[in-house]
Amino acid sequence: MSRRWIAAALLWLCVVAGVAAHQWNFWRNDRLDTDVLALLPENEQAPEVMFATRQLSESASRRVVVLIGAPDWPAAREAAQAWRDALRSVDAPLKPSAASAQADAVGTLNFYAPWRDRLLTATQRALLSNSTDAALLQRALAVLYQPGVGARVSEWAQDPLGLWPQWWSARASETRARPRDGELWVSGEGLEWVVIPMETQRPAFALDGRAVLAGALASAQNAARVAQPAARVLAVGVPLHAEAAAVQASREVNTIGWGSLGAVLLLVWLAFRTLRPIALVALSLLVGTATALSVTALVFEKVHLITLVFGASLVGVAEDYGIHYFASRQGDPKAKPRTLMRALLPGLSLALATSVLAYLVLGLAPFPGLRQMALFSATGLAAAFLTVVCWFPWLDSGTVPKSRFAEAVAASIVRWPRLRPTRTAFLTGACVALLCAAGVSQLRTADDIRQLQNPPAELVRAQIEVGQLLGLPSVAQFYLVSAPSAQEVLAREEALKARLDVLVASGKLGGYSAVSDWVPSLQRQEADARLTAHVETKVLAGVNRALGENLARPDFSARPSALQDWLAHPVSAMARSLWLGEARGVHCSVVLLRGLSDPAQLPSMGAAADGLEGVEWVDKVADVSALLGRYRRSMTALLLAGHVAVLSLLWWRYRAAAWRAWVPTAVASIFTIALLGWFGQPFQLFNVLALVLLLGIGVDYGIFLLEHQGDGAAWLAVVLGAASTWLAFGLLGLSATPALRAFGLTLLSGIGLVWAISPCLRCAQDPLHPESPR
Amino acid sequence: MKRRQCLTALMTGRLAIAWIAGANVGATHAAEVVPAIADAVRQRLVDAPVVRGLFEQRKTIKGFRNPLVSRGDFVVSRSQGVLWRTSEPFLSSLVVTRDRLLARQADGSVATQLSSRDEPGLRAINELLFALMATDLQLLAHRFHFEGELQSDRGWRLVLLPRDASLARWVIRIELEGDRFVRTVRLAEATGDTSVLQFAAPVAASALTRAEESDFE
Repeated sequence: MSRRWIAAALLWLCVVAGVAAHQWNFWRNDRLDTDVLALLPENEQAPEVMFATRQLSESASRRVVVLIGAPDWPAAREAAQAWRDALRSVDAPLKPSAASAQADAVGTLNFYAPWRDRLLTATQRALLSNSTDAALLQRALAVLYQPGVGARVSEWAQDPLGLWPQWWSARASETRARPRDGELWVSGEGLEWVVIPMETQRPAFALDGRAVLAGALASAQNAARVAQPAARVLAVGVPLHAEAAAVQASREVNTIGWGSLGAVLLLVWLAFRTLRPIALVALSLLVGTATALSVTALVFEKVHLITLVFGASLVGVAEDYGIHYFASRQGDPKAKPRTLMRALLPGLSLALATSVLAYLVLGLAPFPGLRQMALFSATGLAAAFLTVVCWFPWLDSGTVPKSRFAEAVAASIVRWPRLRPTRTAFLTGACVALLCAAGVSQLRTADDIRQLQNPPAELVRAQIEVGQLLGLPSVAQFYLVSAPSAQEVLAREEALKARLDVLVASGKLGGYSAVSDWVPSLQRQEADARLTAHVETKVLAGVNRALGENLARPDFSARPSALQDWLAHPVSAMARSLWLGEARGVHCSVVLLRGLSDPAQLPSMGAAADGLEGVEWVDKVADVSALLGRYRRSMTALLLAGHVAVLSLLWWRYRAAAWRAWVPTAVASIFTIALLGWFGQPFQLFNVLALVLLLGIGVDYGIFLLEHQGDGAAWLAVVLGAASTWLAFGLLGLSATPALRAFGLTLLSGIGLVWAISPCLRCAQDPLHPESPR
Repeated sequence: MKRRQCLTALMTGRLAIAWIAGANVGATHAAEVVPAIADAVRQRLVDAPVVRGLFEQRKTIKGFRNPLVSRGDFVVSRSQGVLWRTSEPFLSSLVVTRDRLLARQADGSVATQLSSRDEPGLRAINELLFALMATDLQLLAHRFHFEGELQSDRGWRLVLLPRDASLARWVIRIELEGDRFVRTVRLAEATGDTSVLQFAAPVAASALTRAEESDFE
């Protein structure tokens, strides 16, 4: 038996050494992930949709757009100059992006020129198809005689109807920003704005809690305001969101982690009054957290910051095993540590099993962040447990002195009210049941994406304003177009665009962006080339007749404009991210929508894809909400199943007394749900997950009390454990992330109730133990 | 006064391609003093809210053997914009206001329509346009170098050369001649096209007629 103990301790030492080595590497190579989408679910059905979303967000991951507005253009430029100078002087990791105002206009024009005859807007196509030759001739002549400079970018005979500049005008509506004086300019909200596209030089990351980008932008903004007091500065971009998330996470990790650790160590000191328990409990927490981090990093490659925030609350849960051990040692000073551990092992194992199971259930939902949290917590608990079981009997010697605090707590179990089948008890029970029923009846559910992401309101406002000023397309909703060949994708885009044009004409939609705007499908190119050749030859003949000229239509490229050439050329920089390329024989692209401010129009946008082969309407917001709702329902079912399973497990060990360990958690759960109803808080997936966790943790207290009936030491362990857990989740309830807050507050209420109810249900007398150690 | 019309049309002609050309629609260089010659010319020009007159335009387009000659009348309102009505060789009209450009054919059908809502560049162009109409030679001087001289006791001649390369991509040179009114405009485009506009029978007025006002709407 003794050999086994030695082997276990040594084996665990090897594992911990491995973890230590891994930790050394982990902190040197930056493996933390500030991805703002961390908590967003992966799309279950379509990997292409996930791929498209990721592609779209990646193309924006380093981009920051700054708008500097002033009442007039010279003032805006002055403010922009001051802003730039200030930014340069603070040496921020933010530089103007290469593709800014100075686009190579001539090169761009020359690239498309050979295919001028193949590039028509929908309006032009309709006009050319539906007008008589005479009317078109009249139009060409009118433009010829119009005063001033002809809006021409080619020889007149190459484009007698002026189709080419119109086509460019339509393409220019991709953005409202226009070149002006070497800047990008946009006008709106009564101000003239300088648009400055920027790029971050390195991924935004600040676990030290410093907001590098935000700080630099704020000082540059001040400089702009000094130069032009009326100036407004708007800065938007994924890096700013990422930085805000990182700063917030780092603050919360510190609050929750250090706060719970401080509380745990204080409680341990109050109860045991010697250094050894403090050092050993801290050791178990250190090993637990480090192992959790290493295993999560090994499995997921990168660890989300949000995992660390949630993981910090682990400190308040994983200390239970160490405290339980020391409480028993204190209660029974004569027992040898190993003998004692052997006696404690069944209860501790059962408690660990229920907690780990509950945490692992969190990972069932397809949210990458939740899966990490589940693995992190389960591993952390197991490692802390193993540290206590394998090492504590070796490292702990001597006695644990009694303390007045510990004795007072241990003795309080005797005075704690015990539920007896009296009339008062039934009346109280009925009242509680009534209160619960009333609360539950007022409960409403909500499955809102905003639970997952809670960016600073200021950033969101700026984002909306900039989107409207620049007429940027939304990336939360889009069409995913897929087909076996690239040509078929373009053709399918065109079929979709024909429907969207109707929505644009009716004012429901501002416009759209698609690759086929720039490179039409081959069929479309051939048809348009035929159409322009036919019409323009007629017009030229008419002009020749009317004016006595001898003009001839030049030849255009006989070869169609090819997608591959376009993708490879710098001219496609603006729209290239719309093309997703090929994956497993399927070619994909996205079609983005502009000017979609009214959510009520979303269903008609979705309907536009109906019946079109290979066209899928993706509404990320609606998808996430639907997913949250689905998992809220299935997790509720699982929670009920979990209660049944736990009760069976307890029955198997405690028989008729099993209900005493289970009822506190069940009542606490129902009461917590009722509280949500009373306070008008929505019932969401994260409340359900927290209740699953409550089942795992709360039952432990009942188990400890049943295992060691009437034992003041067990009660001391429960009180200390519950207090620190309660505090850790209370601190998690302060998180700015709504999902984590819901988690924290649910457990705060739940654990508090379990803690209060459990001792009421203790057995009256256990013949094997005296009622109190005193 | 009529030189403004010419520049109006010059600017509006470019707006469709403002984007691709990277045309500096509002190129403002460090504020310079209005050249002395421009100041002298301004003193000789009549200052009226509305000017009406007749025009003859001779356009020479590269690739065409014959010049295109058209005639008609025009109205310039300092507050509303420009109305350009061609009567020969066929009827057509062009209206330029602060927010839009509208070309109509003889049958009333719209040949070209642009609004600043669709094309943001239009507003900057109109900014310039209205500065011109208000005889804001300072703003004109931001975009063009001025050369020229006063002739006899009432006449004058101005040569406008674009300051900015992106403007020079479209216009090489503009020549204006006149007395109390602008009489001749010669425009040389980068494409090799040239236009000569002759104005006749100019009349200054204090207001638009009701019919003209409805044309602007």
